[in-house]
Amino acid sequence: MTRLACFYVPMFVLAARLRSEPDLLNEAVGIVEGNGNNAHIVAATRRARKKGIQPGQSLAQARSLLPKLIARGRDAECERTAQEALLEVAETFSPRVEDAGEGVVFLDVTGMERHFADEPGSAGVPPASDAELRLARAALRACDAVSLPARVGIAASKLAARVAAELPKSPTVVPAGEEATFLAPLPLTRLSPELEVAAMLQRFGLASIGDLAKLPESEIASRLGEVGRELHWAARGIDPRPLMPRPLPPEFREGTELEWPLVALEPFLFIANAALDRLSKRMEIQGFACKRLEFTLTLDPEGYDARGIDLPAPTRDVKTMLTLMRLDLEKTPPGAPVVGFSFVAHPDRPRRAQLSLFGPSAVSPEKLATTIAKLVSILGDGRVGMPMTVDGHLPERYAINVFSPPPPPDMKRTPARARGLLAVRTFRPPIPIEVTTREAAGDDVQIASIRSIVDSETPSPTPNSRNRVEVGSKIDIGGTVRICSGPWRIEEGWWSDRPDIREYWDVELERGGVYRVFRGGAEWFVDARYEM
Amino acid sequence: MAVLARRLDTQFQLLEAPAILKPATPPQIVESGEGEAVRNLRATLEASIASKLTSGSELVRAVARHRREEILPTTIPPLDALLGGGLARGKMTEIAGRGTRFSIVIATLAAATSIGEAAALIDASDSFDPQLAEAAGVDLRRLLWVRPQTMKETVTAAEMTGATGFQLVIIDIGSRRPPGRRVPDAAWVRLARVAESHGATILISAPYALTGTTSEAMILAHSPRPRWLGRGNAPRVLAGVETKLKLEKHRRLRPGQTTTVFFQCEEAVGSAQSDVIAIPTADTRQPTAAAKAS
Repeated sequence: MTRLACFYVPMFVLAARLRSEPDLLNEAVGIVEGNGNNAHIVAATRRARKKGIQPGQSLAQARSLLPKLIARGRDAECERTAQEALLEVAETFSPRVEDAGEGVVFLDVTGMERHFADEPGSAGVPPASDAELRLARAALRACDAVSLPARVGIAASKLAARVAAELPKSPTVVPAGEEATFLAPLPLTRLSPELEVAAMLQRFGLASIGDLAKLPESEIASRLGEVGRELHWAARGIDPRPLMPRPLPPEFREGTELEWPLVALEPFLFIANAALDRLSKRMEIQGFACKRLEFTLTLDPEGYDARGIDLPAPTRDVKTMLTLMRLDLEKTPPGAPVVGFSFVAHPDRPRRAQLSLFGPSAVSPEKLATTIAKLVSILGDGRVGMPMTVDGHLPERYAINVFSPPPPPDMKRTPARARGLLAVRTFRPPIPIEVTTREAAGDDVQIASIRSIVDSETPSPTPNSRNRVEVGSKIDIGGTVRICSGPWRIEEGWWSDRPDIREYWDVELERGGVYRVFRGGAEWFVDARYEM
Repeated sequence: MAVLARRLDTQFQLLEAPAILKPATPPQIVESGEGEAVRNLRATLEASIASKLTSGSELVRAVARHRREEILPTTIPPLDALLGGGLARGKMTEIAGRGTRFSIVIATLAAATSIGEAAALIDASDSFDPQLAEAAGVDLRRLLWVRPQTMKETVTAAEMTGATGFQLVIIDIGSRRPPGRRVPDAAWVRLARVAESHGATILISAPYALTGTTSEAMILAHSPRPRWLGRGNAPRVLAGVETKLKLEKHRRLRPGQTTTVFFQCEEAVGSAQSDVIAIPTADTRQPTAAAKAS
């Protein structure tokens, strides 16, 4: 038999708002719908209700009863994200989840109850002998973790599960086959019949669900039509429509509308931090990490500012995401006060690594992703990554890729003896020079002296060592050549219209230093210095 | 005194004749680590599986041995001998001067990555050549290349990578300091603490001494001398560069020792040593004043 669970959040509008503003949890808060004279209370906290605030009262009435009432408008973004959070919690219990509207979720838990155990050390709660009760308690804990005060009911039909969830003593499990018995004493209003149908049933003299269930189905259907037949099924604990599972969402959203426009970055980041924290927790529940974060700022008086941040590696670290967001906003401010925001996290599976007991310790993928994201935000794109060689003959060619190291070997090895190669320091970009040449054997050219070309607009350089002077960010090189070795010819792209043909020399200057010089066309450059 | 004498008398029996020394019983044979059960188990297993089986006592001994061997060899024998085996893990080592610092950096990267360790190169002068590094034996897949533009970014990147778990972090500063303000000495103290707390090996390569007293060892690289192939009118080919290294400071070893290392060009690999010539030069390059002061 199919077993369905219902997650129900009472006063969902209020619960969604308090989830975004947890500081208001112990305050007298009323959620208001409508503007001006039409503003009326739709939900209120317990503290406000104790003072007489009730749903349906106008805001003026509520203020007369409780002048210090904190009024908050309904926030569609908060409610949407709270509903998504509830659905995501449900998806951790079952893959078949139906979104039934504000604060109500149905899920198929048939056979799932065996996977859940009682929380160890839960004081004051007797251990559950029923496996379904254990599942329901685990669901309550999971909802609590995403700051939603949900109630849980389990039964064989959606109506019975919903009614069980609405009971104040949660969780409630209706034993299999006893749905009709469970529903029988309840008033007909629990079935939520339409107004005309409710009046007709009242005229029939029916007071409870059990009274309706006792009547023959054909008689009800002949008098009330399709609506009556569905009501009769529901009264007998049979769902007129099966569970409608929802597809998995491709992204995670969080956001809120602000009470007043924000013009400074710090207050915005303070609120964004809480939203990102909620987003991170939701992704953690599903086992995802964020690979791209998009955020849309609602501007005052109108307009939107949409941005996106690509993370170097999937991460759930709130601090990293907040740092990247700060850097992006500092670089290009939105240009208008912000009255709302929404974050969209595109999920991806976080990287995992199997650590070795005896080999070299591996870098944690999670920490690595965070570090690289921070480094990229500080240094800029293309300045952090894994170096790669590129096919070709030109020595300055290189590429930089996303750093994702392979796992270390299982056993630690002994390093091989170094080849002892002489390293060169590459100049990026190559430094243009003037060259004096002299004749050599054959057609070859030998270099007699070199001198870097100094831009006339730059100030006159001041020597700070024997043969080097600092020119802005470049190095000025010059002097008589003592030993010249070359040329070595390199040709690349001979098949194209403009092939790259170069001749390379190694030159040692009289004053010291060995440089790699090349001629490309009519121009001369120094592109590297041998380690000196 | 009398009371004290009586006490000694009762405790140690000073007044009795000295006992004849007897040969001590031979000490019990210390377990070799391979217990009976492990030996029997290994005998029944296939050789390839038995070789991977480790007992608890063997594991404890291996961990102790690993702690003793907490050095990362640079795989340049003269330099390793100068440093007492290599770079100390969990410590900061500095190489200063105008010598062949970058070649030492590349060799150290090759040593670390070849055994599967993750390394980070903080290349402040943006002069790293991946092609040459690959030829020198660096496993580029295990190397994080960071190219900061200021000194502050350089130290920050080193601290972050060290705290992330990279086993080797190298800061290389070219022939001149990157732009930006000088970093305070406290930054180097913090970096040394990162190395110690995360067990990272940190190598600083700079034209002048930067780390002060915070580093474990400091090597001074003297100005190098190029060596050429080819005699007489024959065309010349750069054979390599020779440089003198001096141990300026070490927390465990006596400073002042010197050694000479030779790095050869890839084109000259395989050439006979007798072909390498040193062309005399009037330039007697000495270490910079800053390096001397360190």
